[in-house]
Amino acid sequence: MISSINTMESGLAVCLLVIAIACLFDRHLLRACWLLILFALLMSVAWWYLNAPWLALVEVVLGGVLTGGSFLYALRNLPSQRSPIVRYDHTQVGWSHRITRVLLTVAWSLMLGVAIQFLLPDMALSLTEHPLILAAVVIVSVGMGAFALHRHLLRRLMAFNVLGSGVFLMLAGMADTRPSSQALISVGLVIAWLGSLLGVLLIRRLVEQEGSVALDGEQSSTRLPS
Amino acid sequence: MMWRFGLYDPSFDPLWMTHWALAGALLLPIMAGLLGAIFRPSRALPVVLACMPILVAGVLMVIDYQQAGLLRWQWVIGDIEFTLRFSGLSALMLLITQWTAAAVAMYTPGYLRLTYPDLNNRWIWPLMGLLVSALSLIWLAADLLTLYAALEIMGLAAVGMLLLSGKPAALKAGMRYLLLALVGSLAFLLGIALLLSQWGSLNLAVLVELVEQEPITWVAAALMGAGLALKAALFPLHGWLTPVHENAWTPVSALHAALVIKASLYILILLWSILLPETLLAPRLIAWLGMLAIVWGGLVAWRADSLKTLIASSTVGQLGYLMVAFPLLLGPGIAPLPLALAWDGFWLHLMGHALAKAAMFMAAGNLIIATGESSLNALAGTSRRLPLSLLIFGIASVTLMGLPPSAGFTAKWLLLQSMVLTQQWVAVAALMAGTLLTAAYVFRVFRYSFDETAPRHDYQPLAPGMDLIALCLAVAALALGLLAHLPLALLHGGGA
Repeated sequence: MISSINTMESGLAVCLLVIAIACLFDRHLLRACWLLILFALLMSVAWWYLNAPWLALVEVVLGGVLTGGSFLYALRNLPSQRSPIVRYDHTQVGWSHRITRVLLTVAWSLMLGVAIQFLLPDMALSLTEHPLILAAVVIVSVGMGAFALHRHLLRRLMAFNVLGSGVFLMLAGMADTRPSSQALISVGLVIAWLGSLLGVLLIRRLVEQEGSVALDGEQSSTRLPS
Repeated sequence: MMWRFGLYDPSFDPLWMTHWALAGALLLPIMAGLLGAIFRPSRALPVVLACMPILVAGVLMVIDYQQAGLLRWQWVIGDIEFTLRFSGLSALMLLITQWTAAAVAMYTPGYLRLTYPDLNNRWIWPLMGLLVSALSLIWLAADLLTLYAALEIMGLAAVGMLLLSGKPAALKAGMRYLLLALVGSLAFLLGIALLLSQWGSLNLAVLVELVEQEPITWVAAALMGAGLALKAALFPLHGWLTPVHENAWTPVSALHAALVIKASLYILILLWSILLPETLLAPRLIAWLGMLAIVWGGLVAWRADSLKTLIASSTVGQLGYLMVAFPLLLGPGIAPLPLALAWDGFWLHLMGHALAKAAMFMAAGNLIIATGESSLNALAGTSRRLPLSLLIFGIASVTLMGLPPSAGFTAKWLLLQSMVLTQQWVAVAALMAGTLLTAAYVFRVFRYSFDETAPRHDYQPLAPGMDLIALCLAVAALALGLLAHLPLALLHGGGA
């Protein structure tokens, strides 16, 4: 089985995984944004590798430039704001919150694992048979966990984007890059961009009205005078 | 079951005029929306004129359906197949969507003029147009790619509309809704990915033939079910609904509660009847949650302090009735008679609720505009000063309570009959309890309004037609019960 490991594919999978995790758990928001853009570019390399050049182009334009640009725009200082926008997530979450989220993520990963095992029986024999799918499953699990764990709105939006890319990669890995799956992924990329753009505009509106505190999610919203 | 969704081969091709009607029904709402953004109508008349061609297109399609039976369109663009089907169910849902949305659109100019006279509110029109187009596409779509795209467009347009009021509370509620809806759609997409990789097709009619009961199908059904339940605000996942409705504009809430939530529910029942025919556990689980939803939604509405919270919680409870019907539609060994009764009752309840809930939101919006407050206490004394708005609220709640002769009564009667035939006594009890709870929270509103000792306020006068439009919707919900044979004939026409 060792001989069947493809160096290029494995390297790509490892890079995707490392950058996704770095992006999800970096409290420095600007750095996380750049990591997200790097992740999108790597995704487009993955599409190229999977023989979907058009999808690679769509990923660069929509995932890299437009979505990444939206996130960078979210972190630009507002013209009317006295204090600059806070680019660091200081939110602390309690241990009970963390433990429940980790348990949920484990349950979610188990469900995905079961599905994959039925779909691709050769994965059960050797996990490294399809490194990209393996990376996608881990990205989907970790992305879901990060989405549930984080309180900061921008980080949740970023987690959604990483999770989405993981889902697209799983889709392509399981169903090949046939035209219908490429169309599904393209629609998904457009939706992810529009959703991120809407979220970013919303976040800027919120910051404009209430300051950067408003970004810390639902917990702090109760403390604010309404 | 599948012929009910029109997933069989049609006998006739659509006529040339039907192609134009289809194009009109799908594209005209967007164009009307763009016109609205440019001209920003401040009276109802231009809106009526813009709605006319859309309604005509819808009626033409229904007439063609009655003549030719199921209509199907199929295009292949670069190896990707797009399929639309116009069945009796699609016809009904399209009509309800277009007429409810037209009523909401006519209500909007007056509402905006009274509440936000100097706000730049051009965005509501294109978003509303986009929403109606996406909804129409959902009722027609017969492949998973179109369904996914339409569902997402609808979701984003809905989020955009809910944010328009611009208050911080609305923005926060909207952000939460946006994040949940986006993640829900990813779960949905993952389900599609599993189906595509296992069965190799996105076409629903092909999937019906291919799908077998095995773990991969169950995981896909679970993923899609979770994503859609989140978007449809089915019971344990309904937390986002109340804050969103509380802070949104009245016409937007009306459209959202009446149609947007129902679209996700429609997709859920469509996909599950393909993926999980004759299963025991999943529909049973939904039904148990539905019973909890009926009780929980009723109790929260009963304890509510503000009018909009009451209506939003009542939506959660009313969706419970539809959830309780799931085992009757999908369960194993259901005899044809109870199945047919439950099927009729399900869609009749969905339509009646759409009309009544839109009317109720509008009536509540009128009361809130007139009194200037959204709490129930502010209703004191309104029975003398605003009898018409209160009457509309009452007629709409007749449908929600399920008193004869409303659509709610007929639908509940059909559902009860089906439940008695299949001996689901717990569901019968839940339906009864729901009726009592609905009566409790509705009469609580009236108790406040009949408070004669209240000091006299100066009430803001309403724009002409605002009460009339709400009254038309409420009466339509009532009449749907008396004339239930008309929509049901259309629903059964799929077999012809």
